[in-house]
Amino acid sequence: MNGIPMEHGLLLSVVLFVLGLTGVLVRRNLIMILMSLEVMLNATGLAFIVAGSRWGQADGQIMFLLILTLAAAEVGVGLGLVLQIFRRFHTLDADSLNGMKG
Amino acid sequence: MIELLGWVPLFPFLGFLILILAGERLSKPLIAWVGVGSVAASALLAALIGAEFLNGTMQPYRLVLGVWMEVDDLSIPFGFYLDALTVTMLFVVTGVGFLIHVYAAGFMDDDPGYARFFAYINLFVSAMLVLVLADNLVLLYLGWEGVGLGSYLLIGFWYEDPNNGYAARKAFVMTRVGDTALLVGLFLLFTQLHTFDIQLLMLRATSQWTSGSLLPVAAAALLLGGALGKSAQLPLQSWLPDAMAGPTPVSALIHAATMVTAGVYLIARTHALFIMAPSVQFAVAGIGATTLLMAGCSALVQTDIKRILAYSTISQIGYMFLALGVGAWSSAIFHLLTHAFFKALLFLAAGAVIFCFHHEHNIFKMGGLRKAMPLAFWSFMIGSAALSALPFTSGFYSKHEILLAVFDASPGLWAAGCLGAIITGIYSFRLIFVVFFGRKCPVTKARVGWQMSVPLILLGALALLGGTLKIPLDSVFPVLFNHDHTFDLVSVVTALAPFVGLLIAVLFYLTHTFSAQRLAGSGLANQMRIFCFNGWGIDALYGALVVRPFKSIAKLNKNDAVDGIYVAIALLSRVGCSRVSASQTGRIRWYASSVALGAVVIIAIGWLS
Amino acid sequence: MNSNQLIALAPIITIAVTAVAVMLGIAVRRNFILSCGIAAVGIVIALSTLGIASRESAVRATLLILVDAYSLFYMALLLSGGLAVLGFCYDYFKEREGENEELPLLLLTALLGGLVLVGSSHFASFFIGLEILSISLFVLIGYPLNQSRPLEAAIKYLVLSGVSSAFLLMGMALIYSQCGELHFSGIGGYMTSRDNISAMVLSGTLLIMVGLGFKLSLVPFHLWTPDVYEGAPAPVTAFIATVSKGAVFALLLRYFITTYSYDYTPLLTVFSVIAGLSILGGNLLALLQTNVKRLLAYSSIAHMGYLLVAFIAGGRISSMWVVESVSFYLLAYFITTIGAFGVVSVLSTPQTEADDISCYRGLFWRRPWLAATFTLMLLSLAGIPLTAGFIGKFYIFTSAADGRLWGLLLAVIVGSGLGLYYYLRIIVVMSMNVDGAAIKPPQDWVSTAILAVLTMLLVWFGIYPGLLVNVIQSVSYAME
Repeated sequence: MNGIPMEHGLLLSVVLFVLGLTGVLVRRNLIMILMSLEVMLNATGLAFIVAGSRWGQADGQIMFLLILTLAAAEVGVGLGLVLQIFRRFHTLDADSLNGMKG
Repeated sequence: MIELLGWVPLFPFLGFLILILAGERLSKPLIAWVGVGSVAASALLAALIGAEFLNGTMQPYRLVLGVWMEVDDLSIPFGFYLDALTVTMLFVVTGVGFLIHVYAAGFMDDDPGYARFFAYINLFVSAMLVLVLADNLVLLYLGWEGVGLGSYLLIGFWYEDPNNGYAARKAFVMTRVGDTALLVGLFLLFTQLHTFDIQLLMLRATSQWTSGSLLPVAAAALLLGGALGKSAQLPLQSWLPDAMAGPTPVSALIHAATMVTAGVYLIARTHALFIMAPSVQFAVAGIGATTLLMAGCSALVQTDIKRILAYSTISQIGYMFLALGVGAWSSAIFHLLTHAFFKALLFLAAGAVIFCFHHEHNIFKMGGLRKAMPLAFWSFMIGSAALSALPFTSGFYSKHEILLAVFDASPGLWAAGCLGAIITGIYSFRLIFVVFFGRKCPVTKARVGWQMSVPLILLGALALLGGTLKIPLDSVFPVLFNHDHTFDLVSVVTALAPFVGLLIAVLFYLTHTFSAQRLAGSGLANQMRIFCFNGWGIDALYGALVVRPFKSIAKLNKNDAVDGIYVAIALLSRVGCSRVSASQTGRIRWYASSVALGAVVIIAIGWLS
Repeated sequence: MNSNQLIALAPIITIAVTAVAVMLGIAVRRNFILSCGIAAVGIVIALSTLGIASRESAVRATLLILVDAYSLFYMALLLSGGLAVLGFCYDYFKEREGENEELPLLLLTALLGGLVLVGSSHFASFFIGLEILSISLFVLIGYPLNQSRPLEAAIKYLVLSGVSSAFLLMGMALIYSQCGELHFSGIGGYMTSRDNISAMVLSGTLLIMVGLGFKLSLVPFHLWTPDVYEGAPAPVTAFIATVSKGAVFALLLRYFITTYSYDYTPLLTVFSVIAGLSILGGNLLALLQTNVKRLLAYSSIAHMGYLLVAFIAGGRISSMWVVESVSFYLLAYFITTIGAFGVVSVLSTPQTEADDISCYRGLFWRRPWLAATFTLMLLSLAGIPLTAGFIGKFYIFTSAADGRLWGLLLAVIVGSGLGLYYYLRIIVVMSMNVDGAAIKPPQDWVSTAILAVLTMLLVWFGIYPGLLVNVIQSVSYAME
């Protein structure tokens, strides 16, 4: 794939990243937040692949594998926590989880 | 044995630690054993070391226990220096101190603060020992401050009465003025001569400085300032009469035998420096002479038994200063030794009298105790005889020696000294005649325990026979003139002066041939009496010059303008805190947006700089 | 992978094996003491293998991990910290109902992540270590997953950690795209071959800083700190405050020194701003706190600010001195923080967490030794002489003065002054008079032993730091 300049690919991944970030900031549902987090992580994975492809190394793809694995682990734990939170608080509204402040 | 020198100040310090940490839980006999035993151990060790030293070559011995502070090329060791002067001081502090401790074990018996008392007094003794043993000025200053602390704690021992606290504070503040002068003198010596070691300082001073030039005069004057504060000489003497608020053993130990002699010791130790500053040395003599007259006159009109003895102490130390001022170093130290004996004897006997009168101090409320308290009577007789320097008492030998040496230097000062001897005779026998003769006053208890009697007897013996205990100090001090005055006019007049005083006292107070009341009844005489009573108005002077202006300035700043800065800082912090903690909303999305915002901001800063 | 490299990796391998052993132990038989015991034994064995793993020169165990004196020192620090926290966890959780056997397992995996972090010399191990640490922490914070506060704290930490990891990865990707290297020394080579770095690499480094700043709770990424510290169980808070931050800071230092990122003023300017804000913000926020755990959280923000000041000085003075200052300060910080949170955990009962300041009222009269320990820890945090914290502060001051960072030095001084207020306030509250009978404290001998050891170390290093300084200096030589 040597037609697409690296900068375009990076730009795409940055846009995806920002979209994910916006999702985290805007959505109130915890599961939606976790989904937006996934988007962010995958955007960075895309950036790695693009960078790796520019240098012709496999390192980018390896990093993407690692990112994928760890994102999955993170989200797995996250969903478990969300389950417990729902049992305890009976809501998935992120803003209602503000018992500790100041 | 001499290598165990380090233990001499350590035993009382250990006593202090034990009593301050565990004193409340120990039984009274055990407290006494620890408190008195630690000083007894020190005394025994000091005696053995002293004997070993005096039987040897009397070469100065130095013991370094370790380095205390080390910065760059300045190294201050924990070093002790033993020579004949130190041995004399050790005997005084530990020997007389031990006897006073035994006495105190009986005197303070029914006081609830028994353990606290012995803890403080042990701390004091260990600080005093560090002071006399120190080989460098910094360690000496440590001991100096330590005795000041001990004195404060012990004067204000009965703290429930605010007057005692006031007296303690007054003592502390006044000696502080002197201490500051001493500290500045220390720094001056160090910056000019680059060492704190006393012997080295003296060597360098004599070789590098010329006699009478600015530097030695300044240094000596500053050291003198320190000595004046601790030894209660003019102008820093008015704390000592008020310090009688403390228990009598404290007055005996601190304000008669040891702490007030620290100034004399300091000047004697640094005598080489004073020799280099003749003007300062003359000032020492002048101050000594003036103080001894002033204090003598004040002692003449006092009614409180302890205040008479306090003014007497100031006066006697004036004699020591006088001796130092004319260069009779060993005579001054000899008088220090004998003064310790008889003054401690007098104070302890006064304590016995006060104890039996249930803490009454006014001598005119006592009378005719001769038969009821024979031990106190004879103690007072011996002590006053030595104080007045009646022949063949220990006081006679030391005071006679001083006055003869003074005559050689300046007949005017000698005349003052003789006048002082007359006055001393008057007031000391006035005390005896009023308290022990005359109309009998009832006594609440007449028996004192063995703890109080035995030290009185021992001190009485020392006061009588101590004249033979003269320790040769030639290895320390330069020997000055050697005029032989035995049996010439000067020495006869000197010897007879106290008898004049005794005669006057007999006439006024024993046979009542003349009446002191009628003499002091007329206007001028009464004014003079009040003037002398108030210590020549020094306190009033300080009040007008120092205390009142200070208080009015303090009142101006009542709302504490400077404090406003700190209040402003505190207010600013509080406001800052409340503003910033508003950012902790507890909401996840807010936190995440702060992360995002932070990222944007730092990238912006990174790109822009 | 030859045998040399395997031996060098021994501590990491030991911890991993211990984690598996604990898992098997749980599968065989559910017993809290058993799993704690296996974990403790494993950590001790890992500590002893540190000696075996050390060699004359650094060992490059695969491209990802570099085992030299620096990483071995920090591995020792983390393992000791982990062992102390394990002891506190044992006493804290042994009374609680529920199945707590997974706790040692999670602690071990978190430790594993930390060990990989301090040894890492490659972006991949950097990321993996960080994530293993973080994910273990998500569950640890929320332990035991049935109370509202820990759950809230855990989800906050998870979301924010995810966001910051994403930033971190983005930064790594940007740097990779410019350098073509994921290895630290390769990046260093790239940096030195250029006069000024491109905007991409600068942004990349700053984004990495965002990720690390979150973990180190630096302003403005600090907002999670008080909530997570308050919500998590006290021993876990000790873990987050020390092991997690220590590992990340060690990595930050190594990254910056190896990639020669010190030579670029924009980075140092950003750091200065962050450090100043952290010091002032942390101290101001703590000023009026009544919750002891939140107070310690805010104070940890300030302490990371202080540490960052020493780090920034590396731009002007030799990196050897920076490593020495940072290492000593981190060690003192470890001892102090674990001690402080240890006291909190000892005072906590299964019913209430001892976080409100009213629990400490009159502690001197009820439990004098505990109060004395806490006082010493607080005084060390404040930087009072005769404690290790003072020597650490002294290092910071010296570094700032040597590096001519006058503004930051002023901030450190002001911050220390503010800090003194709230630390002393706790001590005052502890010495207040309280009526009521003294309750007989439960027998927490493990915690008591650990607290005693920590106090002795604190005072020893405060009075005679010479021995420790020699060890640290030999460590910093390795970084040259």
